[in-house]
Amino acid sequence: MDTSPGALAQAEIAAQEQRVERLSTLFTGRRWPLFTLVLGTGVLSVLTLGLYRFWQKTRVRRWYWSAIRPGGHPLEYVGDPYEKLLGFLIAVVILAFYIGVVNLLLMFASFSLFQGNVAAYALSFIGVVPIWFYARYRARRYVLARTRWMGLRFGLAPGAWGFALRALWHWILTLITLGLLWPRMTFKLEKYRTDRTWFGDHRMEQGGTWTMLFWTIKWHLAALGVALVCLPILGAGLMPLAVFGFCLSGLLLVFGAVYYRVETRKRLTGEKRLGAIRLTLKVNSLRVFWILLSGYTLSLLVAAIPTGFLLVLFFRLQSAETLTEIGMDEMSQVLAGADRWALVGMTVMSYFAIFLLWSALTQAWVTLPIARLYARGLTVEGAEALPAIRQRPRDEHIEAEGFAEALDVGASL
Amino acid sequence: MSTVLKVSARPPVFRGEGLFYDGKHAEARPIDLSINEKRGVLLGEGLDWPLDKIRLVPDVAGKDLVILRHRDDPAARLILTDEALLTRLPEKDRSAPVARRGRLAAWALGAIASVALILFVLVPLMADQLAEHLPPEGEKALGEVTLKQIREALDDSGLQPIAFCTGPQGERALRRIEDRLTEQMDPPVELTVHVLDHDMVNAFALPGGHVVFFRGLIDEAETPEEIAAVMAHEIGHVISRDPTRHALRSAGSIGVLGLIFGDFAGGAIVLFVTEQLIEAQYSQGAEAEADVFAHDLMQRADLSPAALAVMFERFRTLAGGDAEGFIGHFLSHPRLGDRIAAAREAVPEGFQPRPLLDPGEWRALQGICEGEQAF
Repeated sequence: MDTSPGALAQAEIAAQEQRVERLSTLFTGRRWPLFTLVLGTGVLSVLTLGLYRFWQKTRVRRWYWSAIRPGGHPLEYVGDPYEKLLGFLIAVVILAFYIGVVNLLLMFASFSLFQGNVAAYALSFIGVVPIWFYARYRARRYVLARTRWMGLRFGLAPGAWGFALRALWHWILTLITLGLLWPRMTFKLEKYRTDRTWFGDHRMEQGGTWTMLFWTIKWHLAALGVALVCLPILGAGLMPLAVFGFCLSGLLLVFGAVYYRVETRKRLTGEKRLGAIRLTLKVNSLRVFWILLSGYTLSLLVAAIPTGFLLVLFFRLQSAETLTEIGMDEMSQVLAGADRWALVGMTVMSYFAIFLLWSALTQAWVTLPIARLYARGLTVEGAEALPAIRQRPRDEHIEAEGFAEALDVGASL
Repeated sequence: MSTVLKVSARPPVFRGEGLFYDGKHAEARPIDLSINEKRGVLLGEGLDWPLDKIRLVPDVAGKDLVILRHRDDPAARLILTDEALLTRLPEKDRSAPVARRGRLAAWALGAIASVALILFVLVPLMADQLAEHLPPEGEKALGEVTLKQIREALDDSGLQPIAFCTGPQGERALRRIEDRLTEQMDPPVELTVHVLDHDMVNAFALPGGHVVFFRGLIDEAETPEEIAAVMAHEIGHVISRDPTRHALRSAGSIGVLGLIFGDFAGGAIVLFVTEQLIEAQYSQGAEAEADVFAHDLMQRADLSPAALAVMFERFRTLAGGDAEGFIGHFLSHPRLGDRIAAAREAVPEGFQPRPLLDPGEWRALQGICEGEQAF
């Protein structure tokens, strides 16, 4: 395939003229530019005491969105860092009230009635759970409202509290059934969101039933089975075999989690409708698993360099102090000769370097390859219906994704 | 300058093609572009954009596409596959205006003011009120939890909290000082006096009648009267329930500060400094009151209030010699001079102190950390 820009655009224009029905998705982002973008904006975030992180998030998203091109048309992210900063501030006010005042009352009640703080922490945590779900929905609403494709806006209808209540209910059911109804929760919550998702003036719909997701927990069940078989083996005193079995069970559980995520997404995407338009997603769970495994391993190896440097510096600082304590002032003066403050400065810098490097490395080696895999696996069918779709009005959404930011919900990217 | 004029007077004729999204339909329209030099606009079918109002969409992945927008049109986009046009767009890198920036600023100011109000007015006010109503058992538990946190926080090894010093003879001496002071008053809660094995020169009170000395303070003191003076000062805090108020306050405000600055590395430093400032602000009024209480209690116990002045002077010398970060700064504050003077003035004329400990007891107290320890 000729991937030169000119040829791509030519093919694009030709494809548009022919009104093809299937649009496959291109992904054009490369690792190095992303790595430098994340690292550079990360440094600015540290220098501004975290203030620049709203700009960082915006720029990184703009980059990813523009790399994903269904039918050759790039997505565009038009979120504004000021909006994010403001949304964060609003969330902080509300949460400050919650954490400051409500927690103070809880703490008082807990110490008055139970002579301990456990009750306060438990109640306070339970109180945050619905806000957490609320934040997740609001964050998705904001991101969709600021996403464009072919010049048209996406959107998510209001309904964050409804989502939070349903999420609580489905979590209770899932816990009661020891996880057997987890696929049902996944389906119902995704349906709630998809049925409120808009592209232009067209609303999306989630088809299918929850039972189509049921067997995606098969690897979890396999892991459980292996663990159960290992119990009598352990009872029989065959330690090495039992340990091997438990390790296998753990590995299956991790793979099961990846498989579940990938497989449910594939099946759910395959049942989404936008009028006459349908989507399909082809992704291999094993490849996602491999990307996670290799990406994190590589990142760990590289991030170990500044970590090692930090440890050396740290021990030098410690030993300088210890030498002084045990009266070997002469030795410590040799070390302090290199200027203690320079040593402290270098320690702080390598501490930040680990954070920054880790986030940039995992973006380049984990997030990007997975986004690319998902993007390239996505096809849009029935694209001839696209020109009938009209623009939708702007969703002001003043609070942006402030709660998600403040609660560290970890919405996409 | 004449060359520049020449070039700009005769720019090369621009012809190009691209894809145009009108921002109204989900459709990409191929478009032929040209520049009308006289009007300074980019022209195409259904497109008439002044060159100085065209902006380049930033942070595009891959260098294959050039995405352009009109400054005032939020939705329409023009996509080109070469960069020839870019040299003709004088303002391409300026940012497009963001909707309602004024309102954003108003909200931001309001938000900061509200957080400040919660942090510096509402939480302290509530903490002060609630501290009055906390039952004694609750107060004791709050003190124990806080003491455990402090012991864990001060530990360098990361293995176990720093130890209590429990040398039996030293404890007996400490008890004598305590009794000498409490005989003269009616403590509202039972006092518990601890010594922690740490070389910090400091002492503090916690909710529920806990008074805590660090070994460093006992090492630095030269007479038992100085220990008694510090103890009297801390009892003053216990009586006025300052530690309870303070513990409730920090329970409320630390969480808020953590939220604002996030867990991102840089935040930790700001967090620490702010917390210290709140603490210092709280202290100044309360410290003076505790001093007055200590002067009075010392006198009634036939001990000279000037011992407090001696201890403060010791703090000051230590801070001057090897200023230890924030504590050093706080102790070298001019206000400490006033406190020393006040303690000296509190000694009545012709005052005859009664001895507190005999030399053997004093040695035992100074060696309280050498024998047994407890965790």
